Amino acid sequence: MNTLIPGFVHTPVTPFTADLKVDYACLEKLLEFHLKSGAEAIATPMHVAESVSLSDVEQRAHFDFVMKHVNGRVPVLAHVSDSATGVAASRADYAQSHGAKAIICTSPYYWTPPAHMVHEHFAQVAKAAKIPFYVFYTPGEMTGTKLNTDLMLQLVNSSSNFAGLIDLSMDWQFMINIISNVQRIRPDFQLLSGNEYMVSAGAVGAKSMLTPMAAIAPKLMKDFFAVCRAEKYFEARKMQEEIASLYQLLKYHGFASLKAAMGIMGRPCGVPRPPLDALSPEALKSLQTSLHAMDFLSHEAKGW
Amino acid sequence: MKQMFKGVMQSPVTPLKDDFSPDLKTFEKLLDFHVRTGATAISWPHHKGESLNLTIAERKAFAEVAVKSVAGRVPVSIHVSALSVEDSVDLAQHAQQIGADAIIAITPYFWSPSMDGIFKHYVRLGQSVDIPMIAYNSPSYLEGIEFNGELITRLLEKLPNLVALKEASFNSEKFVEISRAALKIRPDFSIVAGVEFLAPSVPLGCVGSYSSAGGISPNLCKQLFDACMNGESEKARQLQFKLAQLWDLFRDQYPSSLKGGMVIMGRPVGPTRAPLPTATKERQAFIAKQLEELGILDTEPHGW
Repeated sequence: MNTLIPGFVHTPVTPFTADLKVDYACLEKLLEFHLKSGAEAIATPMHVAESVSLSDVEQRAHFDFVMKHVNGRVPVLAHVSDSATGVAASRADYAQSHGAKAIICTSPYYWTPPAHMVHEHFAQVAKAAKIPFYVFYTPGEMTGTKLNTDLMLQLVNSSSNFAGLIDLSMDWQFMINIISNVQRIRPDFQLLSGNEYMVSAGAVGAKSMLTPMAAIAPKLMKDFFAVCRAEKYFEARKMQEEIASLYQLLKYHGFASLKAAMGIMGRPCGVPRPPLDALSPEALKSLQTSLHAMDFLSHEAKGW
Repeated sequence: MKQMFKGVMQSPVTPLKDDFSPDLKTFEKLLDFHVRTGATAISWPHHKGESLNLTIAERKAFAEVAVKSVAGRVPVSIHVSALSVEDSVDLAQHAQQIGADAIIAITPYFWSPSMDGIFKHYVRLGQSVDIPMIAYNSPSYLEGIEFNGELITRLLEKLPNLVALKEASFNSEKFVEISRAALKIRPDFSIVAGVEFLAPSVPLGCVGSYSSAGGISPNLCKQLFDACMNGESEKARQLQFKLAQLWDLFRDQYPSSLKGGMVIMGRPVGPTRAPLPTATKERQAFIAKQLEELGILDTEPHGW
């Protein structure tokens, strides 16, 4: 039985130096910032940490660094996704043998395998992981493979450590269908919200939330999660709308805006690696103006 | 301004005789059943009412029965969407003429208009009548032709008679974008869930639902709405899961499975017109078994 409930999960970005190497000095500061901001778990390197722009060697070195710095203060959940089942499984094995408390994996990148091979992919990674294993569903980023309840039920049967689903679909029908059907077979199966749209996810049963935007507004995210955890969803609505406005602003400016916003909040982590672009000076100025207009950000700490 | 459209509202199916001709007598009984079992409003013919399988003359005849039979006990709105916008305008003006309380209209069928095209569509419909209008957003059925915050803002600024939105994206991000934009401009605007996805939407400002299962289980629908409004999260979640199971049962061959279920509940409403199938005896037996397992047969009214 899985007893890990990750709760309030921060997902740090990967800082880069000006020459686009992993900036470990900055990563150390960033991890410390997340921990002091109330992270109950760290999930890394997620897509917001540009996992797919890190080589396999870099991913392992990055993971080792995170484990060493976090030093058991909170659980670390290792994201191991890859195109190749074997690579993802190998990464999962490495992470569990080096102290990860859970493994996270998406469907394979690029390929669109038939349903039985999508199951095989997850089952092999789960088998290598041994520790709690979470499927990460992000259809907005990966349109090729659709997950469904049948697949989840197959994984329950094949993988005793299959612990839950991290959802980024934000689709109520999908979430309700998965959790209501799978919990009948495995009552401790978890739904985790993959981002900060937690009111609806919590109302249908999510107990944990991954929060990339805690890097910008850690106080708001912490207060919001506390209210959602207490299931006071009406009370959470105003914060949900503030969070949505921040989410939409970042979405409008694209992937680089998360790091750009962190810089504006006094926590610079460089720019994304190619092929992603940094924000143009005009876009950066526009982002800065918009962030300054968000009253709720005035309650957030600047700097590290 | 008092909200006219909130609570558990019913959109009846369309009763047909064995030869597929309109069964207006049974329609009267069905309307009365819905009003007696707590419908806060009636809206006909949604897609569940096979709107697109009826001639314009038939739609007008049924609409007249709806207004006359409900007789002011609850508000009646008429769904006017048709393949041709000319027919929609004709149906809208007819609805006003016969004394309907409102019209309801989905985004245009078949075409993929621009956001400005959708805006103009609603302006034309809304300005063709003096009675209130309800907009209807269902992106999963209309290939992504959908509302966003900007569109609802423009429409609310232009149309004083736009009073509600049937929101059927079933998506956290989309719902929050629409609700925070609409309620900022007009706090008494009604956002209503399509189908009973109330647990994830009520905390975000949703005030009711157009029921899918109301012909089968009006008690369950009311219990869910009350639990959501009272903030009883765990109870609401379990009721939502049960209604989701019903939705899964009926969305398969919708609405013929729903009509099949109504036979089981002692409220036969006849076949479903082509190209939709009619529930076979075998399908009805399967539905009966499912309803029994869900406890519906013991807790919901049987017969008219």
